[in-house]
Amino acid sequence: MLYPLIAGILFGLYFSLVGIGLNLVFGVMRIVNLAHGDFLMLGAFVAFGVVSLAALDPLFAVPLAFVVFLVVGLVLYRLLVPRLQRAKDPEMLSIILFFGLSQVIEAVMTIGFGTSERSLPSRELGRSLAALRVRLFGGTVDSGPVEILGQSFPAPWLAAAITSLIAIALVYLYLYRSRLGTLTRAVMSRRDEALATGIDVHRVSAAAFGIGLGLAAISGVFAPFMFGSFTPAFGVDATVTSFVVVVLGSLGNPLGTALGGVIYGVSYMFVQTYLSSWADLLPYVLLIAILLLRPSGLLGRRVRVA
Amino acid sequence: MSRDGVLRVTDLVKRFGGFFALGGLSFHVSPGEILGLVGPNGSGKTTAINVISGLYAPDGGSVTFDDAAIGGTVSHKLVHLGINRTFQVPKPFLSLTVRQNVEVARAYGGRRAGATVTDDLLAEYRLAEYADRPAADLNSVQQKLLDLVRALATRPRLLLLDELAAGLNPTELDWISSKIKALAQRGTAIIVVEHLMGFIAQVTDRVIVMNAGKEIFEGTLAVAVQVPQVIEVFLGGEHAA
Amino acid sequence: MLRDFIRHFSLIVVPLVAVFAVLPAVYDNHLLLFNFVIFLALAQGVNIIYGFTGYLPFGYVGFFGAGAYGFAIVVMHLNAPALVAVAIAGLVAVLLGLLLTPLLRLTGAYFSIANLAAALAVLHFVANPALEAVTRGPYGVSLTGTFNPTMAYATALGILALTLAIVVFLKNSSFGLALQAVREDPVSAAMAGVPVVRMRVIAWLASALVAGLAGGAFAWYVSVFYPDNVFSSEFSIFAIVFALFGGVATIVGPIIGVLILYGVYNLIGFTTPQYFQLIYGLLIMGLVLFLPAGLVSLATRRGWHVP
Repeated sequence: MLYPLIAGILFGLYFSLVGIGLNLVFGVMRIVNLAHGDFLMLGAFVAFGVVSLAALDPLFAVPLAFVVFLVVGLVLYRLLVPRLQRAKDPEMLSIILFFGLSQVIEAVMTIGFGTSERSLPSRELGRSLAALRVRLFGGTVDSGPVEILGQSFPAPWLAAAITSLIAIALVYLYLYRSRLGTLTRAVMSRRDEALATGIDVHRVSAAAFGIGLGLAAISGVFAPFMFGSFTPAFGVDATVTSFVVVVLGSLGNPLGTALGGVIYGVSYMFVQTYLSSWADLLPYVLLIAILLLRPSGLLGRRVRVA
Repeated sequence: MSRDGVLRVTDLVKRFGGFFALGGLSFHVSPGEILGLVGPNGSGKTTAINVISGLYAPDGGSVTFDDAAIGGTVSHKLVHLGINRTFQVPKPFLSLTVRQNVEVARAYGGRRAGATVTDDLLAEYRLAEYADRPAADLNSVQQKLLDLVRALATRPRLLLLDELAAGLNPTELDWISSKIKALAQRGTAIIVVEHLMGFIAQVTDRVIVMNAGKEIFEGTLAVAVQVPQVIEVFLGGEHAA
Repeated sequence: MLRDFIRHFSLIVVPLVAVFAVLPAVYDNHLLLFNFVIFLALAQGVNIIYGFTGYLPFGYVGFFGAGAYGFAIVVMHLNAPALVAVAIAGLVAVLLGLLLTPLLRLTGAYFSIANLAAALAVLHFVANPALEAVTRGPYGVSLTGTFNPTMAYATALGILALTLAIVVFLKNSSFGLALQAVREDPVSAAMAGVPVVRMRVIAWLASALVAGLAGGAFAWYVSVFYPDNVFSSEFSIFAIVFALFGGVATIVGPIIGVLILYGVYNLIGFTTPQYFQLIYGLLIMGLVLFLPAGLVSLATRRGWHVP
């Protein structure tokens, strides 16, 4: 009981990070970023590059991936979104547009890197912090597992969970303690009124889009360690998983995603442990059930039923 | 049909969360009568229309039409019974042509609807020249008229007009009031929700003044404007609350 | 309206089906012709549910795969004749559609995502090793007993004709008009007396039926397949993109979309799938940004009527 619970919480915190960018983008822009998982995949390649080209700790890929994809997001926003929002039904068209983008990303990466599965040795992660880790959680400098409440877990799980917590806290600070973040929340709650009051919705949205992609890329850095391996085709599954997490927590409420992630992580680990042959079905069944039974998510109030 | 009304609303309640949009509203309207529903913003006028037309199910009280309880009945069945409406913000089928907008109502509006002729209706409401253009090409006043024509194509016996007059110029106002009166003369019961008091005075036989989800006055507008309670509701915004 | 129905049927459907009936005699790549017929049917199936009611079925392949497995299971376990098995395939898809009708309560992106999840759930269910006795799980099925590409092709043509007939009916009937009214504004549609929920369910099941029948014919034609083949998201994606590219809520739009795009796909296609995927992705993006109403909108914008 204890093992799947703790593992679920660790994974769940990570899943929160996986989904939060998608939710931020949807909340602010009412745009469904179906290429979300592909940016996660690109983040994994950043980690791969940091290890194989620079021989650095993949943790260095975290700030790098964030900055790179923040910029990518700002540029993509300018290229795609204003034109999209002039259409009759931007929400529906955004699904198709970003599906197209997802295909482009996957194709480019497949052309560049092939279809083979890649993985990174888990001892690479957190190498630069090894001394600190050993002091706090035990284990040795070289080998993996850390102990929590008598159960041992791979060190990268803990690293991913801690990074996720920090990232979520920073998102919270951004939304509630910065000026742009305050405007972002205003746009999220009443887009039309925000427009009317003269808020620069484009600036707010571009920032949210950049941050959303940056967060996806950060979560991608840990993907090789959390899922064992990754390929350029990995994006679609990641997108679906992100949707499950986001919808669980409530679409349009980025902080609800943290709760959604933990619930998803814990149930995922329990199904893995006790009903493993049906574990693959879980995300899909959970997603449909939540959409139908509690369409506004576990924390949400917004009605979305026809 | 009962003598005192084709539609009878009794102690109607509609809640949104903890907020009572309607807190025990009662009124009736008779065939051939034009009833005005007036009151400040948020007094529940549009909510009342929405409950009567089946958009919301009531949380309490009753709505009867020809003495049959209709509270909670789905909209398209109410349309077949003879209830129809227009919307405050017009809702035509934008990508369909103006004629198709009306044809749908004629085909699905119930047995009586088949008897109407689309082109006559369009001509009567000054939409004939746009008949083959998409409804999206119409301006907002024309879209409101299209809403009305679509409603009329189902030959309603009870017609709910939600702010039909807003945005019309004085000539159009005169024209549309004569149309509404003519409809009533042919026996249609009509409920008019409106902010323009001149228009209310021009068309209605009787008004219900609403405040906070309940009726506070029933009678003619001429009398209503002399009742202190009514005056306070309309002017009170600045002093009270 | 009946006159238009007959006109559209005899000027569009009959020639198209006739051409595909004759082509196998003069063109050797029968698999390609078969795939054309399947995609023509699937693109029109998407047209029925997306074009006429506005629900974008990202998991449309769920019905196709369910149909293929419906066919395989009755052939494997009950030795059903192939034509009967194709009918069962359609029935299985309709039943799956009925099971999924609650999804129609969702709007916009929520529907699309839930539909995608449903298709993936069906895939993982069928491919589950625990169900090996029934579905052969991930190991795939082999149906050599019914193998008959000629009959399977003819059946697929029949399914295409049926599908086109449905679309021609929708385009020329007050039923189709009412569906479009529901798509434009469900509240107003109800006020026109349209039974909104029933209309949506009928369109949804018709669209499921088309994909299920097509899946059955596909299973018959290829006779050996794995879950990943018949639940490949490419079927959904291609069908949607073909339909959108040509223009939905028309009869000819999806046909033009399939003929052009699937034609191009096969010119540059199979040898370099990644390059194709790249071009495809860019095409989709360009389409959404510059021609969201499809190729036919080039004509309708000029005020020309497109059937």
